[in-house]
Amino acid sequence: MIDLSHTHRLVLLPLLAAVVLAAGCAQERTRYGEERGIETVTNQFSSTDLQLIAESMTRSMLQSPSVIGSNLPIVTVQEVKNKTSEYIDTRAITDSIRSELQKSGKVRFAVDAAAMQQQVEEVERQQREYYDKEETAEKGRMVGAQYRMEGNIISIVKQAKDIRDVYYKFNLQLWNIRNGLLEWSDEKEIRKTTTKG
Amino acid sequence: MKRTWMIVMLLAAALAAGCATKKGFEKPGFAYGCPIGDAKVSSMEDLVKLKILSEGKRTTIVANEMRCTMTGDLMKIDVNLNNDSSKVKRIQYKFRWIDREGMRAWEEEVWKPLLMYENSNITVSGVAPTNKAVDFRLILLSQE
Repeated sequence: MIDLSHTHRLVLLPLLAAVVLAAGCAQERTRYGEERGIETVTNQFSSTDLQLIAESMTRSMLQSPSVIGSNLPIVTVQEVKNKTSEYIDTRAITDSIRSELQKSGKVRFAVDAAAMQQQVEEVERQQREYYDKEETAEKGRMVGAQYRMEGNIISIVKQAKDIRDVYYKFNLQLWNIRNGLLEWSDEKEIRKTTTKG
Repeated sequence: MKRTWMIVMLLAAALAAGCATKKGFEKPGFAYGCPIGDAKVSSMEDLVKLKILSEGKRTTIVANEMRCTMTGDLMKIDVNLNNDSSKVKRIQYKFRWIDREGMRAWEEEVWKPLLMYENSNITVSGVAPTNKAVDFRLILLSQE
């Protein structure tokens, strides 16, 4: 039979309480967050960066003379080159920009190179005998874009012992396909610094 | 005595004319180019009180000037924010766009982080995402 003296008991009880508390803290907890809130879990490219870039580029493009002066200009989305050292889904950025512009009702989008295969396949599928000829999409009816949208994203990363600084620069351009003129261009810069301690 | 009266009258007339001219630039329901609806706005302070909202933890950053204009058919807003404390402050802000019926004209914007050095001013700009947006609020949130 172990006989715990009063002093021993006094030491053991707080220890047990600490162990229980630590076990409790280790438990995972998942909660829904604000989807448009600022995310700073790490200083890599984040959902906030994507949203900031998409919003900034969209609002800027809506003020460009090509959009204000034209009657619903038709745009096609081309590649945004990722020149950073990390993986960034640049298609997700252009998709967000396209959605915002489309919703604004100021710009129309023509099928882009990435979706062309599916578009052609669907038009050809409708040429089969199973479809009503009056209702089907005819060949040679697609509308070409007047402008093409392309861009790039670069990053500069600097790291010292207790500090890591990341700078992103996203550049987007709107080119006139007919005459090759650059009609609009804008940039969004983001700087994030993480310090230890 | 008569001359003094004349001068006073002339000054009053000039003042009234000056005020009338200034008011003449402003459309009814607008102040400093910004939509105010039926609200009474007689100063920049009133306008700022009407348009700025604070969410979450209150920030000591204050807006001291606001201007609105149109770019094409979209509303554009410039707001001057002031940090008069001796500390660097970090806040988040976003614009909320409101349509003619008082409903949200667009989904919530992303919170934009803003760093303000001690005793500094910074102008933040917002452009409406759609011409359905005819009013707005600027929402500030402390990040401290």
